[in-house]
Amino acid sequence: MGLCVGARAVRIGVMPLAIAGLLGSGAVAWADQLKMGLLVPGSVSEEGWNRIGYNALKGVEEQLGAEVSYVELQQNPASFAKAFYDYASQGYQVILGHGFEFQDAALEVAEQYPDTYFLISSSDIHEGNVIGLNTDTSQPFYLMGVVAAKMGQKAGLVGGMEIPPIQQAFEGFKAGARSVNPDFPISEAYIGNFTDTAAAKEAALSMIAQGADFVQPNASGATVGGFQGIAESGKNVGTFSIFSDFTEVAPDNILGLYKADYAQGVVEVVRSIMDGNPPQSNVAFGLKDEKVMQFTFRDDGPSSVPEEIRTEIARIAAEIAAGNIRTMSN
Amino acid sequence: MQDILTLGFLATLLATAWRLATPLIFASIGEVISERAGILNIGIEGTMLMGAFCGFAATFASGSLMLGLLAGIAAGVASGLLFALLTVTVKANQIVVGAAINLLGLGLTSFLFRTYYVSTGRGVEIAPPIDIPWLSDLPFFGEALFRQNLIVYSTVIVTILAALLLYRTSFGLTLRAVGDHPKAVDVAGRSVAAYRYAAVLMGSGLAGLGGAFLTLGHSNQFVEGMTSGRGFIALAVVVFARWSPVGAFFVSILFGLFYALQLQLQAQPLLNISYQVFQALPYLMTIIAVCLVGGKSAEPRRLGVPYGER
Amino acid sequence: MTQIDQQGRGGAATPPPLRILRKAASAGLAMMRPAAALAVALFCGTVLLGLNGFDGISVMIGMVFGVFQDMRSVSEVLLKAVPLILIGAGLCVAFRCRMWNIGAEGQFYAGAVAATFAGVSVEGLTAWLYVPLITLAGALGGAFWGGIAGYLKVRFQASEIVTTIMLNYIALIATSYLVTGPMKDAQAAYPQSARLFREAWIPNLIPGTRLHVGILVALVLALALYVFLYRSSAGYAMRVVGINPFAAAYAGIRTRGNMVAAMCISGGMAGLAGAFEVAGVTRRLYQSISPGYGFEGIAVALLAGNNPLGAILSGGLFAVLRSGAELMQITSQVPQVLVLVIQGIVILSVVAFAAIRWQPWRKG
Repeated sequence: MGLCVGARAVRIGVMPLAIAGLLGSGAVAWADQLKMGLLVPGSVSEEGWNRIGYNALKGVEEQLGAEVSYVELQQNPASFAKAFYDYASQGYQVILGHGFEFQDAALEVAEQYPDTYFLISSSDIHEGNVIGLNTDTSQPFYLMGVVAAKMGQKAGLVGGMEIPPIQQAFEGFKAGARSVNPDFPISEAYIGNFTDTAAAKEAALSMIAQGADFVQPNASGATVGGFQGIAESGKNVGTFSIFSDFTEVAPDNILGLYKADYAQGVVEVVRSIMDGNPPQSNVAFGLKDEKVMQFTFRDDGPSSVPEEIRTEIARIAAEIAAGNIRTMSN
Repeated sequence: MQDILTLGFLATLLATAWRLATPLIFASIGEVISERAGILNIGIEGTMLMGAFCGFAATFASGSLMLGLLAGIAAGVASGLLFALLTVTVKANQIVVGAAINLLGLGLTSFLFRTYYVSTGRGVEIAPPIDIPWLSDLPFFGEALFRQNLIVYSTVIVTILAALLLYRTSFGLTLRAVGDHPKAVDVAGRSVAAYRYAAVLMGSGLAGLGGAFLTLGHSNQFVEGMTSGRGFIALAVVVFARWSPVGAFFVSILFGLFYALQLQLQAQPLLNISYQVFQALPYLMTIIAVCLVGGKSAEPRRLGVPYGER
Repeated sequence: MTQIDQQGRGGAATPPPLRILRKAASAGLAMMRPAAALAVALFCGTVLLGLNGFDGISVMIGMVFGVFQDMRSVSEVLLKAVPLILIGAGLCVAFRCRMWNIGAEGQFYAGAVAATFAGVSVEGLTAWLYVPLITLAGALGGAFWGGIAGYLKVRFQASEIVTTIMLNYIALIATSYLVTGPMKDAQAAYPQSARLFREAWIPNLIPGTRLHVGILVALVLALALYVFLYRSSAGYAMRVVGINPFAAAYAGIRTRGNMVAAMCISGGMAGLAGAFEVAGVTRRLYQSISPGYGFEGIAVALLAGNNPLGAILSGGLFAVLRSGAELMQITSQVPQVLVLVIQGIVILSVVAFAAIRWQPWRKG
């Protein structure tokens, strides 16, 4: 609901632009106002990746008073460059392409708009005005893997599509679990899209039927289906709420929450750009950035993580933050 | 690898298959009824989405599961009414109208969901699983198969009712005649249009119910485009099942089984085959099956042809 | 399909002056119908926006006219029109032959895969050779994928509606397999193919924009298919098969050959669209290279009344709507999905208006 109200507020703010844009004077009129655009590969109504990008945009709007706008591109690579052009030509100073897939298009457009900053999520790039912002999800997933291996017998991972953000997270999970027990059994399945909640649920149920007692879904919009399946399988299956707060969906199973406040990270980067000292390299967020990445345990659930494991996790998290533990094999 | 062959594995597989098949069973039996009357409705995907959304919205607002299911059916019927109006009364091309309904279904539900609900993680209470007195006590299969919710069980009833309706009532006899020899029905003094309307409305209502199952009987939330192509699969089920409701039930289960197997096998870390192979398997099987059962023998003779045209 | 029936029926027993008048009137109406349908759809869209708290009128004005504000915007509309016109015009041929090809999406993917394969594997060709090569590869890939459904139809009477839908899924899954596996760019983490060789890129048409010469090819091919369907005996035979296969067989027309050919032509056009998208726009193969062009192409063909020339107009219209939808979201944050509603209403209005055209005369 909150999003609904927010979207309406944005709309009212932007309406004069629609008309000004028609008259061809849009860019000039807003020269001093910070304008930020966002490209997302799916629908912001999903409780997942795209919403994280949207929240980042809202964060910049609320904390820096920027005028913001977003466009959903349905993972259609042909439309990426056009959207960058649209924003850049309308005088947007910062454009966030939310996903590695936007990198090629940003590089193409960035040449023609040297004064515009192109931020790319989950990318390591730094070429002139194109800056990668990578949230290393393998780090919190590494911690989940440790918890799974310490508390359970077998883990299952339910992914959406086989793309880097999902794969990296699962890599981290496996590395974490194997750091506890090199032979810890982990099964992995992809449903092949990000919308089929029914498939995500059945994938989770299948894994539980095969003996998994820790199941971690990560499929953007379809993630909720995974939690649903876990919730129906009784209290003995553990999981972590990821990105958003899903405790209402699986109250008996969620051991803790990994919350990504990507917005905070993006706000800091945009602020530094506004202040005239943009990042001189790619930006990587991890457990070291407490504002961006929060990994917490729940105390109100029926099965709670024991104190000694919590202490151990805190120690490992600190090691990861310090750069002493690598959460991915490569 | 060993656990593939245990009874428990098979039982869960069947249970998963049945649940995954449920929306397909409703939608494909609906389509059987409609196609038996000579109306090819390719707009089931859109109709299912409308059912899923309206069912969700009604239950979200009222808290009543029953109201939600009724709203899902009503949404399907409304979409069917639009379809019948244009294809039966106006005699427009059925593929054209079906394609438009698919666009409308996806567009409208996504737009309205976006405007009014935008997921806050809050869902609705879904239909709870119910044990069937002594069946669920059976070893192995009992617990897995007979601990489903009422919507899943009702697929059996719907299948039987549809078969009885089509083959054991004069209404069904006439309805099938409308698909094969509409002129004969017309000459006999019955209204071809009325039967076609009835068939389309029933079919779309069932498709709406199939959609509503996704939000009210499986996941508890609406997600844009969540039918993920099930409406199109239902079209294939109908041909594969040779336009028979009982056939549609079993073919849907077969599809569910493939999907379930695909998920299970992906989760077997020892199996080193690309999961896409398993994903493609049901579709490949359908093509083969359609070629094998092929032939025009079972297809309603005037399928897709508006009455009154050559 | 239905159009032929109606004209044949209408003209028979009426005196010539009236007939000419009626013909002129119906030709006029035929032109008016899509325009009126568009008006109805935009009106419905405006009302829907208004009911949901948006300023419907200014959003709609912004959407339709915004895409014509400068050269680059216009070029983007034309760029989007390329696959829609190609696919739509190709489907007109299939639909005229009464082959319900729902599989343009899969044929688009097959073409894109074939073109990518050609575009990343042969090094050292000049552009003069390479561009035709990958264009041909795309067309053949699509024609092959469409031809499968055609062959299964004539050999096993397998419903082409079902087989093409299944082939869509298989093409999508195969593409996903290829870009995550054998064809994956070794340097990239993201599932995508390697970049096509520079010489394989479709030449640019207007410098400073992304528009490539594919738009000219699309226009020429749409015209060529129109000439084929309405000015050649082969095209006539294909249409006769579509109207009545039994009569066609009786007249000595090879119905089976025509059916397969119709599927290959429409598949080839979709495959060509896929090749242009890879070699002209994205330069790489992705698992989601098409945002549903194949399905939209069906609507384009139907809106065009299955006339390839009409597909130029309806393809252009859908491109405007799609471009406008992106602009609409950027400027006023209206969800892009609204454009699907508008497209659906356009189609439904067209068929509804078609009814208004003939019913009064039929009753009289």
